[in-house]
Amino acid sequence: MNRITDDILSKVEKPARYCGGEINSYIKDKNNIQIRYAFCFPDVYEVGMSHLGMKILYYVLNERQDTYCERVFTPWPDMEKLMREENVPLYALESKDSLKQFDFLGFTLQYEMSYTNILNMLDMAGIEIRASKRTEADPIVMFGGPCAYNPEPLFDIADFFVIGEGEDVINEILDLYNEVKEKGKEYFLKKVSGIQGVYVPSLYGVNYNEDGTINKFYPLIEGVPEKVKKRIITNFNESAYPDKFIVPYNEIVHDRIVLETFRGCTRGCRFCQAGMIYRPVREKNTDKLISHAEKLIKNTGYEEISLTSLSICDYSDIQNLVFSIVQKYEKDKVGVSLPSLRVDSFSVDLIKQIQKVRKTGLTFAPEAGTQRMRDIINKGVTEKNLMESVSSAFQAGWSTIKLYFMIGLPYETEDDIMGIAELSQKVVDEYYKIPKEVRKKGLKVNLSTSIFVPKPFTPFQWEPQIKMEDVLGKIKVLRSSIKSKLISYSWHETPVSYLEAIFARGDRRICDVLIRAFEKGAKFDGWSEYFNFDIWMSALKECGIDGDFYAYRKREYEEIFPWDFIEIGVDKAYLISESEKAKNVEVTPDCRLGCTNCGVNVNLEGKCFEGAVFN
Amino acid sequence: MKVRYLIKFSKESEIKFVGHLDLMRTIQRMMKRSGLLVVYSKGFNPHINLSLAQPLAVGIYSSGDYLDAPFEEEIPELKVKEALNNSAPPGIKIFEVVKIKDEDNMRIFKSMAEVDAAKYKIRIKYKDTGILSKEMEALLNNKEWNIVKKSKSKEKEVDIKTMIRSIDYRTVENILIIEAIVSCGSRENLSAELLSMYIKSNTSNFDSSAFVDIQRKEMYAALGSKLVPLYKFAKMR
Repeated sequence: MNRITDDILSKVEKPARYCGGEINSYIKDKNNIQIRYAFCFPDVYEVGMSHLGMKILYYVLNERQDTYCERVFTPWPDMEKLMREENVPLYALESKDSLKQFDFLGFTLQYEMSYTNILNMLDMAGIEIRASKRTEADPIVMFGGPCAYNPEPLFDIADFFVIGEGEDVINEILDLYNEVKEKGKEYFLKKVSGIQGVYVPSLYGVNYNEDGTINKFYPLIEGVPEKVKKRIITNFNESAYPDKFIVPYNEIVHDRIVLETFRGCTRGCRFCQAGMIYRPVREKNTDKLISHAEKLIKNTGYEEISLTSLSICDYSDIQNLVFSIVQKYEKDKVGVSLPSLRVDSFSVDLIKQIQKVRKTGLTFAPEAGTQRMRDIINKGVTEKNLMESVSSAFQAGWSTIKLYFMIGLPYETEDDIMGIAELSQKVVDEYYKIPKEVRKKGLKVNLSTSIFVPKPFTPFQWEPQIKMEDVLGKIKVLRSSIKSKLISYSWHETPVSYLEAIFARGDRRICDVLIRAFEKGAKFDGWSEYFNFDIWMSALKECGIDGDFYAYRKREYEEIFPWDFIEIGVDKAYLISESEKAKNVEVTPDCRLGCTNCGVNVNLEGKCFEGAVFN
Repeated sequence: MKVRYLIKFSKESEIKFVGHLDLMRTIQRMMKRSGLLVVYSKGFNPHINLSLAQPLAVGIYSSGDYLDAPFEEEIPELKVKEALNNSAPPGIKIFEVVKIKDEDNMRIFKSMAEVDAAKYKIRIKYKDTGILSKEMEALLNNKEWNIVKKSKSKEKEVDIKTMIRSIDYRTVENILIIEAIVSCGSRENLSAELLSMYIKSNTSNFDSSAFVDIQRKEMYAALGSKLVPLYKFAKMR
């Protein structure tokens, strides 16, 4: 056990990040368990503690008698500096033991710009960052989460990846470990590659063509599967869900109860990776969710419940669910909040219900400014939808609206950019249509744009990213098109999205760039105060890698992608047909209206959402 | 009928770095978990109307802090204590719960307004304690303890000796342990940090890189010329 002295803690920002001891954290006797598992989140405490996947897996792992799962976050650089000076290795919050003492380190890959933090965390614990250099004595390092769908840029950091939902497969992996751990790491890795959803990169080889594209991806030894099929929970309603959340002493980013209403999305937005990789849609029923809510309110004392999923208003029983929770807990002053709403599925009743207890902000994400552009990205939302929704919101007393858009989408023209300003102006006009005595004073429309990053397993995976030098021009056009002072526009023009694009569709050669950037001091790249583009540019250069090859290149349908060996259930042929439809400005309807034959219900076990929507 | 309770609690050493607002939020959630019928404020962001006697600075822990909180109904004091202890996080313990008698002819009891003094235990690390006792003796004989006090806008010199009601010291290994009762509250307040700063700057060889450990042990109300722990004072009314 490390002793983290007050002399250190008193010198850093937010010391509570490093102390643990929160209510509902697990304290187990280390001598009575077989497997020590460190769940590592490669960002700071307040961010990591807000993450639902961690809460679920922390619970699932600690429900096992033989396992003790603890939490690890990236120390903020002030703390890192002192820990390195005082020779305190990176430790887990529960036992304060160094990561070196664990059997497993499980990192979650939520965003590409957290990768350098992973390397830093290993390094702070005195563990080799390259899997190929680690020995039997080191912990087994596993990665999961959405970015694991393109695992290759981390191929020599991880011992193995888990592709897909982790609740079930983690138990299979640990059971296997218990069974064969005497036979060593190499044996375990060979065995674990046979579990559906597991990818062991050291057991595969890659050949490249002269033009830098992939020629062949293949297993190095017999018995290792050629394709890795993602894992899903087939009985989602009955899947494990914590009955208590850790309640931190200091405020975290999402400091509230989170109820996961369903997984997957039927909308088919063409830019959205989550919409493809999390298929099929599976819901929890209202009774189940209310029973989760009851336990969580009792065990946490939180004053807010957030309903979450990819598009919350698509939950088939949303009105009843919201009404039931609001009614039941009104006297206890527990409020309900919804994350960013789809603009078409919004009802006055619903917002009024939410408003009754606690007034939360309203965010809408039309994503694009013109109907043509929204059709290209298959965001099945019209201007009329948005106007009806904001009008309801204004009538119900809201006066602050956030609007999210993307710039740099495929086939985008200047008209589409100006359309963003026009649409925002129409929101302002809509406000003034509401009689003075009804609407609340002080309208604010907060408009923000992000830069589109093409992602694997989407219909846009073949598309180039917008060039950095073109982004500023688009932002200028948008800024000069905004007329009303009530619209405030915030944007990001950072080159971060260029690196995101490189990592999102990167291959094994990017791993060297990552290591080089880390060695040159890159960390917390997702935080603007630490992001240093020059480090990355020189890392690319020193490794002889052309970033444009990954970010700006238009791909052919025939190209073998680094992630093609992963089966997400959705057919590549479907993605190609969606890509063609985007080119022709054709929409694909929501698959609740009829199957669009993406393949997920054929390729993965079980029926599609028809069998999983309860209410 | 609303009933108010005075609650004596600890902020344990393990959560000494939790700030005042975070501590307030933590206490609110503890009360919510307890299932006790607490009174909420009106408005869009309803919260429990808690008041803390004297906020603790980040880094200071306490085994004698006070808050007062309103409930919707009268509940036996022991039951409140038990319910709160059962729902408390590891860093908080509840020691005393006293119902506040609010009678028409009496001034409303507010813990914040009643506090007159507080007892602190301060531990300062020294690199060498050879001459420390001598220096401390000399200090204690000084009539005035003048130190520059910085507030948001200005700096001024104050004599803190007048605000020290009693002070004792001893050294254990390389640590100077001070126990002092000092003025606390809205009328006159001496922070434990200022006191330890004065001692550090008037003694030699303290370890400047070390953390000064400060614990609040009790808070008092004045009853005539006597100091009485706040919970006892509330009982006596």
